[in-house]
Amino acid sequence: MRIQSILGAAVLAALAGTALAQTAPPAPAGAPAWKQGMNPDQGQSPLHPFAPHLTGKPASEMPSVSTLKVPPGFKVEVWVDGAPEARSLALGDNGTVFVSNRNLSNIYAVVESGGKREVKTILKDLKSPNGIVFDKGTLYVAERHRITRYDGIESKLDNPGEPKIVIDNLDPNNQPGHFWKYLVMGPDGMLYFNIGNPQNISMPTYNEASIVRVDPKTGKMEDFALGVRNSVGMAFHPKTKQLWFTEHGRDWMGTDLPNDELNVVTKRGQHFGFPFCHQGDVLDPIFGVNRSCDQFTGPALKLGAHIAPLGMKFYTGKMFPKEYQGSMIIAQHGSWNRDPKHGYNLIRVTVDAKGKATKHAFLDGFLENERGDPPMWGRPVDVLQMKDGSILFSDDRNGIIYRVSYSKKAT
Amino acid sequence: MMESRLAHSSNAQRGSIAAALKRAAVFSLTAAAATFTVTASLVLAPAAHAGLEEGRVKAQVCAACHGADGNSVIPGTPSLAGQPAQFLVTALFMFREGRRKNEQMTPFTAKLTNADLNDLSLFFSSQKMAPPTHKTTSERIEQGKAITKAQNCVACHTATLVGQQHIPRVASQRHEYLLSQLKQFRASTRAEFDGTMTSATQALSQEDIEVLADYLASLAVP
Repeated sequence: MRIQSILGAAVLAALAGTALAQTAPPAPAGAPAWKQGMNPDQGQSPLHPFAPHLTGKPASEMPSVSTLKVPPGFKVEVWVDGAPEARSLALGDNGTVFVSNRNLSNIYAVVESGGKREVKTILKDLKSPNGIVFDKGTLYVAERHRITRYDGIESKLDNPGEPKIVIDNLDPNNQPGHFWKYLVMGPDGMLYFNIGNPQNISMPTYNEASIVRVDPKTGKMEDFALGVRNSVGMAFHPKTKQLWFTEHGRDWMGTDLPNDELNVVTKRGQHFGFPFCHQGDVLDPIFGVNRSCDQFTGPALKLGAHIAPLGMKFYTGKMFPKEYQGSMIIAQHGSWNRDPKHGYNLIRVTVDAKGKATKHAFLDGFLENERGDPPMWGRPVDVLQMKDGSILFSDDRNGIIYRVSYSKKAT
Repeated sequence: MMESRLAHSSNAQRGSIAAALKRAAVFSLTAAAATFTVTASLVLAPAAHAGLEEGRVKAQVCAACHGADGNSVIPGTPSLAGQPAQFLVTALFMFREGRRKNEQMTPFTAKLTNADLNDLSLFFSSQKMAPPTHKTTSERIEQGKAITKAQNCVACHTATLVGQQHIPRVASQRHEYLLSQLKQFRASTRAEFDGTMTSATQALSQEDIEVLADYLASLAVP
C-alpha cells in the first residue's frame, strides 16, 4: 500500500533527523507528533486533532453556562473572556490571576480595575510559555526551551522587564511535539516540570519522557520520574507532600486503549512505563515486546483512553462541602483519537485510607455530540483555587475562564 | 497598549477598519445589507449576526483582490467565500503575527484587532463560493483522486474537501494559489499549526503537486 511506504518514509525521516541533529540542519519535517505511530490500516482514519480559536471567542457567542452540569449547590459563571488560548493559571499574592499560552506566545494578567475585570498582556513573543507558577512574589515561566523568573511581578505588570534565567537549553533537539511544559513549585522549593516525549510513540532520548526538577537558586536539574510520555498537570498532596500527576497515553492503539493516567510518585526515580508499558498492564505492540509491565510503576487511577487529563489541584478551600477537602479536581481536555469522543470536563478524584483512588463527576456539558466534528464547544485545561475557596478553570478553545462556587442555599 | 488588540468582545472595539472608511460608503452598504438581514437573522445567533454585518463593512478593503463576495478572479489570490470561519481567523492571525508573510497581507493585517479578524471571517465564510473556472482533463481528475485518497486528505479537509474548523476548503480554490501553498509546505516554509501539511507534502513529487492543484482547482463543491 502506498500509505505504508509514505508513513515508513516519514518515520525514517524523523529518526534520521534525530540522529543527524548534531552534524546537520534538521531534515525536512517527519510525521507530526499526532500522526506518528499510526498502523498501516489506520491510514484512512478520519480522526484528527482540534485547534483553538486563536483570537478567542466572546462568552456571549457561547452556549449559556446553564448548560454546564455541576452537583447541587454549585454554580458556574463566566469569570472573564478575551484571554485567547487560556492555558495554565497561577494566582499572585495580591490577587492577580496569571494565564499562559501554548500555541500563542503571551502571558496575560487578569486584574480588577475600576470594578471591572481586565485581561492585560504582560509578556509576549515567548516560545510556547505553557507552564507558569507564582511563588513568593515571583512568576516563573516555563517556555519550550527554558525557565525564567520575573521577580516582584505584581508591582510591575505594565513593565515586567527582562527575566532572569533559571535554566536554559531544555529543548536541544527542537522536538516536533510535546514540547510545552507544566510547572509546579514543590514543597522543597524546587520547580518540577515535564519534558515530554517528542512524538506519539518512540524511544525517548536526552531527558525526554520524564518529570524533572530544578533548584531555582542554583539552576541544577535532576531526574524525578521517568517513563512519563507527557504530563501537563501536576500537584503536590497537601499532607503527604507526594507529587501526583496526569499523563496522556499514546494514540492509535484504538478507541479504548490505552487509558490516560493519574499517577503518584512515591519514590524519586520511579519509571512509569513509557514507551514499553501503558496504563500499568498493556505492553506496547512494538516497544513492549521484550518487556514486562511488572518492571514499571502503574497508575493510581485509569482515567479513560484519550480523555486528555491536564491541570489538577488538590482542593484545600473552605467553600466546597467537606467531602471535597483534599480531593483532586482535574481538567480533562477531551479526546480526538477515538470515536465516540469523551471528556471535555472536570472530574473529582478522592483517595481513601488504603490509597485507592476513585473518580467522581464534577462538571460536564461542553460535550455536545460525541460523534460530532467538533464534538464540543469548550475544552478545560487548568484549575486554580482562589482565596475564597471557589475555583477557576480555563478553556483554551475560546479563551474563557470560568468560576465554580458553592453555596448551600443555591439549588 | 499592547493588550488592546488581544482584548475583544467589546462592541466599542469593533470597527477600527470601518472608521477608516468613508461614512457615506458605510451607510449605503448598510442599507443594501438590510434586506439580507431579514433572512440571515433566522439562522444566525444575534451575536454572530452582528459580527457578520460588521465584517461585511470591513471586507470592502479586501474586495479589490479577493472579490466583493470573496470569490477571487486574480490568479494566485485565494478565494475566501465559503471557507470555514476558524480557518480564516487562523490565516489572518498568522499574517498579523508574522508567522505567514506576504507583501499584501502583512501590512494589511498589522493593525487589525481580534474583533476585526472574527468579523471578516464570519462575513467571508457566509458567502457563497462560485463554481470553479479552472478546467482539467478526466485523466488528471483520476490521478488527483488517487493522491487525495493515498494521502487521506479527506480526514481533515472532509470528504468533499470543503474544509472544517481550522482546516481550509481546497476544492475549487485558485489553481496558482494551491500550487504555491503546496510548494511552500513541501519546502517547510509555510507556517501551520502542527506540521501536518509540511509532513504530508514530503511524500509528494513535483508532478503530484501539479496534479493535485489541477484537480482541486477544478473540483466543484456539491
